[in-house]
Amino acid sequence: MSPIEIGLLSVAAIVTLIYLGVYIPIALGVVSFVSIWLMRDNFDLAMNLLKIALSDSVMEYTFATVPLFTFMGIVVSKAGLGSDIYDVMNAGFRKIKGGIGMATVGANAVFAAVTGSSIASASVFATVAVPQMQRYEYNPRFAVGVVAGSSVLGMIIPPSAMLIIYSFVAEQSVGDMFLAGIVPGLMLAVAYIGAIAFAGRFFPNFVGGKPAEDYEPMSASTVAIKTLPLVFLILVVLGGIYTGWLSPVEAGAAGATVGLLIAFLRGRMTLKTFWQALIETGHITAAILFLITAASIYSRMLGLAALPNELGDIIASNQFSFAMIMVIYVCLMLFLGTLLDTASIILIVVPLFLPIIESMGLSPVWFGIVTVVGAEIGLLTPPLGISCFVIKSTLNDDRIKLKDVFLGALPFAFVMLLVLILLINFPSLSTGILR
Amino acid sequence: MIGLLRQVENVASRVAMVANAVGTLVVLALVMVVNYDVVARGFFNKPFHGAVELVQFSMVLIVFLQLPDVVRVNRLTRSDGFLSVAGHGWPAVRKYLNKLINLVACIFMVLISVAIWPEFVEMFETRDYFGVPGVFTAPWWPIKLVIFVSAVLCSLLFALKFLLPDIEPDSGKSASGLTGSRSNVT
Repeated sequence: MSPIEIGLLSVAAIVTLIYLGVYIPIALGVVSFVSIWLMRDNFDLAMNLLKIALSDSVMEYTFATVPLFTFMGIVVSKAGLGSDIYDVMNAGFRKIKGGIGMATVGANAVFAAVTGSSIASASVFATVAVPQMQRYEYNPRFAVGVVAGSSVLGMIIPPSAMLIIYSFVAEQSVGDMFLAGIVPGLMLAVAYIGAIAFAGRFFPNFVGGKPAEDYEPMSASTVAIKTLPLVFLILVVLGGIYTGWLSPVEAGAAGATVGLLIAFLRGRMTLKTFWQALIETGHITAAILFLITAASIYSRMLGLAALPNELGDIIASNQFSFAMIMVIYVCLMLFLGTLLDTASIILIVVPLFLPIIESMGLSPVWFGIVTVVGAEIGLLTPPLGISCFVIKSTLNDDRIKLKDVFLGALPFAFVMLLVLILLINFPSLSTGILR
Repeated sequence: MIGLLRQVENVASRVAMVANAVGTLVVLALVMVVNYDVVARGFFNKPFHGAVELVQFSMVLIVFLQLPDVVRVNRLTRSDGFLSVAGHGWPAVRKYLNKLINLVACIFMVLISVAIWPEFVEMFETRDYFGVPGVFTAPWWPIKLVIFVSAVLCSLLFALKFLLPDIEPDSGKSASGLTGSRSNVT
């Protein structure tokens, strides 16, 4: 067998093994190891690459963004900053049809600027927003759909774990990726709010809900107390990165400290929860970085097999248009998104496609945004949309079935797809902010 | 035989938990080191030389000290959709497939241990260091040792998952149903 055939077979083998339930880093590592061994007929070479991948890949300075932003996200969730911003948004949107839904999207967008995780957003807002929407007789499907749909904002609006992971595989600056995520994230939030308004006007039964009567306006001081800590945190983190005063690693550390201070000052954190947050951070960091380590063996294997070059040649010889390539790419991500988590999708597809994108003279930063948004659609689609599972298990309400969560989230997945098409067509939406 | 293995599992789990706690302290140290550097550089114009190297060092410690515990509580990233579907109709398929998966994982971890061991021996003998001499240096061998020990421990934990009948691990955190074993990252 030629190296290219081995390479193609091993990509297929990896996807199959992962579908069967093999740990994703193990599937990436074992298959890549075996195919390097077969391709070169050299066991020692395979061992050597394994050794290099393990020793080098974790030693990257910017990897420290993973534990730091994870820690910050966990701390601000525990500090109750998510439900605070939700209260404020709710006071603002209350009188509009579907207002609580819009408030959930808005609060998610702001909260996303201090967390990098959809899971955190999904669990916070499932507990605060869904019960309230049920009280006001919203359609339960709509209620859970809004929470699921808007939770993906956490991954697109920086700081985001997925943008960090992409920047590792594609060797882009974490800071650039963060800045590039701002406009697409806000666009998605606005599109969601627009979609809710549209649904409220033309499909009122899908939204449901009754006007709020027991409404007390929120005083300016309450608004300030509930928003200022969050605004300050966003200024420190994103402001620090944008002005260049802080590197992403430093912004993560500063953000974690400020978040901790807020949590302790408000009495929302005890030593026990503090320790749990640290342990949780460590588990997530170890899992992500081990995955990245395994993925680095995989991309070395692809390089040895010359698979990306071959793919580029196929595309060149068939004269595929840009639109054609993007359609193939998005379909591939949607297919993988049915069973894989976002990080794994990024780690599997980016090493294959990035060389093609770069040879076409397209921006790798733009490609990263497209990849993250595309892979995130999988969070909302069956059979395994993680956001939907989190919401189902957080709610613990037998009246709401998993099917309801998926059906409710589907319109939002569709809106995401529309935004993705816009982002593909207008790269400056992502890259315009970079100087 | 099972009894003996359970004892081994007990010890291995304890070691993994202790390593995890040490790794957790390193996370805290990481936050403090970077903050110290930011404040010292930003407000007192005295950057902390060696912050970068310390961060690199701590990343290795965090990942490899905590990896065994991630394995122990079944939180290594996987997609268990097929397994849970298979579990409804054919519990035996699920059981043996799961064992096979743990066996493969064990072999991979053994390969890692074997690959990294000579590296450790070499660094231990040559006392090679990383960093910039005069600014900050640290020996390489502890890093290689941590990776080696971590890989050995992970191999052992996977081997035990392969050999022993399934029981729910006493996870430190409540694994939240379906998502617990799936990526908790995203």
